[in-house]
Amino acid sequence: MRRMKSVAGTTSVDLSIPVRADLVVLARLAAATLASRVGFGVEDIEDLRLAVEELCLSVVGSGDDDGRLHLNYECEGDAITVTCRYEADRAPSGSRLGASDDLSLRILDALVDDHGHELRDHRPSAWLSKRRSDAPRLRRDAGAS
Amino acid sequence: MDQNFSIETTEIDGIPVVTVSGEIDVATAPPLRDRLQSLSSSGKPTLVVDLLGVTFLDSTALGVLVGALKRCRESGGDLPLVIGEPRILKVFEITGLTGVFPIFDSVGEAARSVK
Repeated sequence: MRRMKSVAGTTSVDLSIPVRADLVVLARLAAATLASRVGFGVEDIEDLRLAVEELCLSVVGSGDDDGRLHLNYECEGDAITVTCRYEADRAPSGSRLGASDDLSLRILDALVDDHGHELRDHRPSAWLSKRRSDAPRLRRDAGAS
Repeated sequence: MDQNFSIETTEIDGIPVVTVSGEIDVATAPPLRDRLQSLSSSGKPTLVVDLLGVTFLDSTALGVLVGALKRCRESGGDLPLVIGEPRILKVFEITGLTGVFPIFDSVGEAARSVK
């Protein structure tokens, strides 16, 4: 299932996929497609593809499951925020959230501007935010005389 | 699963060379792990893994390669990697694994390093 809506410069896309190893590629494809549409360069797109893969793995691990992964992609200005949420009656068996020495965590730290996770009612979710690397950055002294 | 994903095994001077192509992700890492385990358990302590044709690689793939490296070194061998694509090398760099694996630009160089 995939829904897309635009509100005043913000594009929001929802994707829901079964927790299956061979379908995580859909989460990457959606990220790459949206990143391309908002002007991300090739390197940023590749970084985002990998980061989204790691986001999904951090939530559900590498095993198949009868739950679903809900992904929301929010494109606003020069940034994309991706939220990945697990939905099922019970917790996923392979979630890696909180594993501080995990390779996923190192990859996310290096490739995105910000990321985080939470566990609510045994249902893990994680999010990341990435800006275009060529986007102008706010300067701390902006506006100072 | 990536339709372009493939694993081929050849030999150079008796050293197995595992050539991987396509995307190594959570779906395709298990067959790679099985192939590397099979070669290690057949008495080959050193394996060259050629990643020149790899277009995507995630932490699951890294875990498979790290596991194979440990098995090779426990048997007195090694697991040199061949990487050409900068974005694949970048994944090893950001995870600190360039200091763990011997990494080469060509299969020939990698095979010579373990003779």
